[in-house]
Amino acid sequence: MLELRNITAGYDAGTVLRDVSITVPDGAVVALLGPNGAGKTTTLKVASGLLGTRSGQILVDGEDVTNKAPYQLARHGVCHVPEGRGIFPSLSVTDNIRLQAPARNFKASLGNATSVFPRLGERAKQISRTMSGGEQQMLALCHAYVSDPQYILLDEVSMGLAPKIVEEIFEYLHDLARQGKSMLLVEQYVAQALKLADYVYIMDRGTITFAGEPGEISEETIMNSYLGSLAS
Amino acid sequence: MTEFLVFLPSGIAIGSVYALVALGLVLTYKTSGIFNFAHGGIAAVAAYLFYELHIRQGWHWAPAFLVSLLVVGVLGGLLVERLAALLGSAPTVMVVVATVGLLVLLQSLMTAIYGSANIFMKSYLPTNTLFTLGRFGVTVEDLAVTGFSLGAGAGLYVLFERTRIGKSTTAVVDDPNLLSLQGTNPAMVRRLSWIIGSCFAAVSGMFLAPKLGVSVNTLILLVIAAYGAAALGRFENLLLTVAGAMVIGVMVAYLPSQVSKISSNPLVQNLPGNTPFLLLFLVFLVAPTRLLTERGVANARRTRPIRTFSRPVTYGGFALLGAVLLLVPTFVPNAEMTQYASTLGYFIVFASLGMLVWMSGQISLCQMSFAAVGAATAGHMLQHGISWPLALLIAGAVAIPVGALVSITAIRFGGIYVAIATFGFAIAMQQVGYYTSILFGQAQRIDVPRPEILGVHFTEIVPFYYLCLAVAVLAGAVVLAVRASRLGSLLRAMSDSPTALAAHGANTTLIKVVVFCISAFLAALGGVVISGVPQNASGALTGPFSVTVSLVMVAVLGFAGRRPIASPLLAAILFQLIRIYPPFNTEGFLKYQGVIFGLLAIFVAISPALNIRGAIARVSSASGDRRDPSAGPVRARLDSAPVKPVALRSTPVGAEPELVGSGKGAGR
Ligand SMILES: Nc1ncnc2c1ncn2[C@@H]1O[C@H](COP(=O)(O)OP(=O)(O)OP(=O)(O)O)[C@@H](O)[C@H]1O
Ligand SMILES: [Mg+2]
Repeated sequence: MLELRNITAGYDAGTVLRDVSITVPDGAVVALLGPNGAGKTTTLKVASGLLGTRSGQILVDGEDVTNKAPYQLARHGVCHVPEGRGIFPSLSVTDNIRLQAPARNFKASLGNATSVFPRLGERAKQISRTMSGGEQQMLALCHAYVSDPQYILLDEVSMGLAPKIVEEIFEYLHDLARQGKSMLLVEQYVAQALKLADYVYIMDRGTITFAGEPGEISEETIMNSYLGSLAS
Repeated sequence: MTEFLVFLPSGIAIGSVYALVALGLVLTYKTSGIFNFAHGGIAAVAAYLFYELHIRQGWHWAPAFLVSLLVVGVLGGLLVERLAALLGSAPTVMVVVATVGLLVLLQSLMTAIYGSANIFMKSYLPTNTLFTLGRFGVTVEDLAVTGFSLGAGAGLYVLFERTRIGKSTTAVVDDPNLLSLQGTNPAMVRRLSWIIGSCFAAVSGMFLAPKLGVSVNTLILLVIAAYGAAALGRFENLLLTVAGAMVIGVMVAYLPSQVSKISSNPLVQNLPGNTPFLLLFLVFLVAPTRLLTERGVANARRTRPIRTFSRPVTYGGFALLGAVLLLVPTFVPNAEMTQYASTLGYFIVFASLGMLVWMSGQISLCQMSFAAVGAATAGHMLQHGISWPLALLIAGAVAIPVGALVSITAIRFGGIYVAIATFGFAIAMQQVGYYTSILFGQAQRIDVPRPEILGVHFTEIVPFYYLCLAVAVLAGAVVLAVRASRLGSLLRAMSDSPTALAAHGANTTLIKVVVFCISAFLAALGGVVISGVPQNASGALTGPFSVTVSLVMVAVLGFAGRRPIASPLLAAILFQLIRIYPPFNTEGFLKYQGVIFGLLAIFVAISPALNIRGAIARVSSASGDRRDPSAGPVRARLDSAPVKPVALRSTPVGAEPELVGSGKGAGR
C-alpha cells in the first residue's frame, strides 16, 4: 500500500498541495483527475520523492519514506513515469532500458521489454531522441515493465499522442493492472481512466475535492469540476 | 618509413599521456556539461605534490604517487564536482569564468609556493632499456607509462560502453531527476566521473614530471594537446579521443625530424609542436554543426539584465569620472603615472572583453593575444615612420581579421567552443605566433616608442597619460555606441531567444562574429597603449601579453560586474592599480593576487546557486524542492526545462522568471 498522508508541499514560488491524502491499495488502480494546474503532477512528484514535503507523511507498505530521495524510493518499488518524455534522449533504446532495469537483471529485462513492445526491439540501437513521440512514450512506459515495481505512478502518458497510440498505451496499462500492480494514474482521457480505475480522486487547486469509486460519480461531475475551476 | 617506425614508440608514449589527460577532460565534460579549463591545473598540482613528497620529503615514489593521487585525484575531484554542481545552471560565460578562476587560483598558488621556474625531477621509474626499436630504446618507464595509460583508457571504454554506471554518466546530463527515479543516485554518478577525470589528470601530471620538469606553466600549456585530441573525439567519443591523442603524440615526435630537413627557419621548426592546436582548428573548421553539441546549456539560467541608471545619474557619473581622470596628474606623483597610464590600457582591453562577454554571451580567453597583435603592429608601423594615430588605427584594423579567424570557426558550435578555440589560440600565439617576425620576432621584443605629435612631447609621462586617456575614451565610446546601435538590440534579442531571432531571419552567427571583431579591434588599441608605457612589447611568459594575463583578466572581469564602462574600469583598477597602494603593495598580495582573483571569480560564478537568501529562509521552514540533492538549490529549476505545450495551464508566467526554456540548446 502506498499512502500519502496529509501532504502539504510546494515550490519556492508558493504552496501547491494542501493537506492531500491519497491511498493506493495493493493491486488497485487509482485515478487522479483534475484541471490543469490542480497539482496532480506535484502530487506524483511528492509520491516519488522528487519533491520534498512541508508536512505530512509518505508510507510504502507501512514504512515511513517521507523525504527520501527518488532513487531510494525506487528501491522501495515505486516507479514514476514522469510528465513529458521520461527518456534519456541521447541514449539508445537499449541503453535507456539498461538504466530502467534493476542493475543485475538487464539481459532478462531487455528480452521482457522487447516482447511487450516489439517496436522497441526493432529500434534497439536507435538514439531515442530520433524516435517518434509514440515510440518515445512507449520507451518511457517500459520502465514500468522492466523495473518490476510494486507501485506505478503515471503522469499523462497519453499526452500529445494520436488516438490510436493512446489506445495501444491503455492496453498496456490494462495489462499492468492485470499483473496486479498498484497504479496511481493521472490522465486527461477521463473516460479511459475511469474504465481502468478502482478508485478516483479529484483534485482542484491543491486539495482533494472528491474521493470514491468510479461508479459514484458521473463524467458530468468531473467535467463540471474542470469547468468550475476554469471559470473561477 | 623506417624512420617513421623509429619515432613510433616515443610518439605512442607521449600520445598515451595526452590520451589520459584528454580522457579525463572529455569524461567530465560529458557527464557534467562543464568544460574544465582547470584540468591542466589539476595535473600540475599533482606533479607538485608528488615532487614535494618524493623529492623534498624523501618518500619512496610509490607512496608519494599514491598520496598525490588520493589527495589531488580523489579529494580534488570531489571538490571540483561540488563546483560543477553549483555551476549546473549557470550561463556558459560564468562556467568559463569559474573554471578559469580555478585555473588562475591553482597556478598562482603553485607559483607562490614553488616559484615559476621549471623544477627538474629525476625519473622515478627505472629508465633502463628493455629492448631497442631502430635507434630508440624502449625503457621500462616508457612501457609502464604507455601500459598504464592505455589500460586506463581501455578500462574507461569498457565502463562506458558496457556498464550501467557508464551509461548513467551520459544520462545524468540529459536528466538527473529521471535517473534518480530509475534508481540511480545522480550525485554518485557525478562524483565518480569527476574522481576518474581528476585522477587521470593527476596521473598524467606525475608521469610528465620527469619528462618535462615540474612546472605549472608547462603543464597548463600542455593541455592544448589534450584539447586537440578531445576535439578529434568531438568532445564525446572516448575511442576517437584516444586515437587522436596517439596521432598527435606520433606527429609531435616524428614531424620535427622531417621539418628540420625542409627548413631551418625556427618558425617552421616550431610548427610540429603546434599540431594539437592546428588539429583543434581543423576540427572546428570542418566538423558539421550537429556533430559538436554544446552540453548542459539547455538548463542555463538567464542572467538578469543590469539595472540601468537614470540619465542624470549616468551623465553625472561620466562627468565626475572624466573630471577625476583629467585631474589625476595633479595629485599623483609622476613616478606613479606610468601605472595610471597602463591602467587605462588595461581598461580598454577589459572593456573589449566586457562587451564581448556581457553583450554577446561569448567569452574570449585570448584577449591579450589580440592586444599583442596591436602592440606589435604599432611597433612595426612606428619603425616605418608612420604617425602614431595612424599606427594605432592600423593596429586595431589588423586585429579584426585575426578576431574573425579565431571566432568564425568555433562560433557556430556555441559559446564553450569559442572559449576553447580562443584558449588554444592564446597558447599557440604564446608558443609560436609571438616568435614570428610579424609579431615580436626571435628576439621576443619590439620597440613601441611614444610619439611626438604636433610638437607635443607625448614621450613625457603626463602628456602620454592624456593620450592614453583619449584612446580610452574612444574605446569606451565605441562600446557605448555598440550598445545603443541596432547591433546592440540584436544582441539583446539574441540573449532573450536566439532561435526566435534566427527565425526572424537574422544571421546570429554573423552578429556574433561582428562583435568578436569589434572586441579584437578594441583589445588591439589597448595593447598599443599598454606597450607604450614601457615603450616596448614582448611575448614573454611573464609579460603583459601572456596567456596567463588573458586568463586572469577573465577572472577579474568575472567578478567586477556587468556594466559596460564601470566594470572594466573597476577591473583595470583591481588588476593594475591597487598594487601600488597599501595594503595591496605588499609582496604577499602580489604573490597571492591570482589566488584572490580566482576565488572571487569562482564565488561570483556560483553565488546565484548558493542562493544565500534562500538558504536563510530555508532554515526557518525546512521545505522546498530537493529533487536532486547533490546539485543544490539550482536543480529545482531543472524540471521545467522541457517546455510542455499546454494551453490551459494556470501557471503564472512569472513563476520561473530566471529560466531559459530551451534557448541556447534549441539547436539540438
Ligand atoms: N517547478 C515549479 N516551480 C514552481 N511552481 C510550480 C512548479 N511546477 C508546478 N508549479 C505550480 O504548481 C501548480 C500545480 O502544478 P502541477 O504541474 O502539479 O499541475 P497539474 O495538475 O499537473 O497540471 P497539468 O494538468 O497542466 O499537468 C501550478 O500552479 C504550477 O504553476
Ligand atoms: Mg501535470
